[in-house]
Amino acid sequence: MSVLEAKDLTKIYRRGREEIYALKSVDFSVDSGEFVSIIGPSGSGKTALLNVLGCLDTPTRGSLLLNGTETSGMKESNLVKLRRDNIGFVFQQFYLMPTLTACENIELPLLFSKKNENKRRIEDVLEMVSLADRGDHLPGQLSGGEMQRVAIGRALINDPKIILADEPTGNLDSTTSKMIFELFSELNRKGLTLVVVTHNLDLAKQAQKMYTLQDGRIVSCDDLACVLGRDDLAVKQEVF
Amino acid sequence: MNFLTLAAKNLLRRRGRTLLTVMGVAIAVSVLFSLLALNSGYEKELNKEVNSLGAHILAVPKGCPYEAASLVIHGGVIPKYLSEADLHNISKINGIELATPILMHQFIRQDAKTGKDVPHIVYGIKIDEMRALKPWWKVQGRYFTDNETNIMLVGRGLADKENLTVGMILPAGPFKNFTIIGILDRIGDQDDNFHFVPLAEVQRVFNKEGKITTVAVKVKDINQISEISDKLEKIPDIQVVTMTQIMGTIMNMAGSAKSLLLTVIAIALIISAFGIINTLLMSVNERTREFGMMKAIGASGMDIGRMVMAETVFITVIGGLIGTIAAIVGSSLIEGFVKGMLPYSPRGSLISLSPELIAFSLVFSVALGLICGIYPAFKSSRLTPMEAIRGGIE
Repeated sequence: MSVLEAKDLTKIYRRGREEIYALKSVDFSVDSGEFVSIIGPSGSGKTALLNVLGCLDTPTRGSLLLNGTETSGMKESNLVKLRRDNIGFVFQQFYLMPTLTACENIELPLLFSKKNENKRRIEDVLEMVSLADRGDHLPGQLSGGEMQRVAIGRALINDPKIILADEPTGNLDSTTSKMIFELFSELNRKGLTLVVVTHNLDLAKQAQKMYTLQDGRIVSCDDLACVLGRDDLAVKQEVF
Repeated sequence: MNFLTLAAKNLLRRRGRTLLTVMGVAIAVSVLFSLLALNSGYEKELNKEVNSLGAHILAVPKGCPYEAASLVIHGGVIPKYLSEADLHNISKINGIELATPILMHQFIRQDAKTGKDVPHIVYGIKIDEMRALKPWWKVQGRYFTDNETNIMLVGRGLADKENLTVGMILPAGPFKNFTIIGILDRIGDQDDNFHFVPLAEVQRVFNKEGKITTVAVKVKDINQISEISDKLEKIPDIQVVTMTQIMGTIMNMAGSAKSLLLTVIAIALIISAFGIINTLLMSVNERTREFGMMKAIGASGMDIGRMVMAETVFITVIGGLIGTIAAIVGSSLIEGFVKGMLPYSPRGSLISLSPELIAFSLVFSVALGLICGIYPAFKSSRLTPMEAIRGGIE
């Protein structure tokens, strides 16, 4: 069953009289339990696609089904609920609250979803992201990789149907980036659906499906389970 | 964790700015609190002071009746006098329960401790009539009779200040060799600081035989005050001031000074309010990406607005508390400043601190917070997630 299903997604930004096509008739779908990566050069529309998929932005045209619910034309108040119950976001800049501890940052979405603070659940998530012993540390006391793991923990706390990650390793060194992708793979093995936007082809290859975006269009969709080792991936490496 | 914890932690991120905003609120609330305390205190003290005279009407020599009345209340020398014939004429008027003559005089005595010349006020009175006018008087020692000589009563405040005791004989001044036969219990008004001597003795000491400064009149029925005043006005050389007139005139005189103060307060509050709004807007603008993140992880516009509002209320409540405490602690300073600006100030403390006033100040600071927080909260809550987050992404 599709967690996300987008048809003919078009996003146009207007700058004065100029129209900028960020997305051009994109068809896209993510099945439950899938790990999907999206690659493409800067300005290709990766983030625009992720924002529309995550209901942070509305498409100019097209339809988007999230867990079977049509989201286009929905009011912001309904979208808030939909996002809260279905999606976990991970950002490149982590966006952790500097005055909250790792534990409190992970707990933050519970405050907005009005769910009771569940200490056991928070501890479980901390363990899931291998930060059981760093829960009372402030972001300033954590490394980049640890901060991103806190952000992943925060995305997981509401038990989402899908995680959307935008350049989650953009601010991290290669070793830490690998560790983050290993964590994603592990979460995926446990049944979590993931969509990750990245520049890093090596990491993108760890997903089961890889979409390539260029000039707002999906130019290829590789089922990595079948295509791993194909020569044209080496060609793509040169492009990005 | 709840919204209040989150708001408090947010404010702690920018300690310096938060502190400055809190101080802005504290100053505004402090000024407001002081003015309100002063307003109620002024009226209360003035009432007490005027009522402490015990009379309904004062008959004074022609001139400025309010100045004369003020001198009678505070103690001072009026350079004009009424005669005992005037007193006789006043006493004949129907409806008067009591008309008692008073001769006030000022004298200088050297302070035993500091050696400095200190002005003193003496009231020449008829003791039985004065006691009827002021039934609340109580004495340690005894009262004098009108025929006694070389004796006096003093107020408790004066006795404490100059270490005077019952039985003491004054060593210097115009009342040299006078014996203190009684000390009046503390009343809390100007009587605490005066000397009281039989009228004839004051007239003798200062060579003012047959002269009196004022006649304090108590009427049988307070509804007849204006009627009796009209009759008194017909006596040549006499002017009449009723206590109601004194209160009204002084309140009017003080009114313009208070209006000026009120304007200053209003300006201070407006500046403070804009300061708070500005700080909050700056804070909101700086945190748009953070709000975007919050919206992405499930916060509604209402949640963001509520958080900003909680921050505002935190600032104003803390500012309100500090301002109120500062106003209470520094009330004497403020009082000194304001007393200098008012045309007439009662002797007692003008600042009246009541629990209601403290509660009002705190409620006011919360209200200020809510008003100042509306726009920033509205602005932050209206941001779409993309508007908020875009600056940080591609």
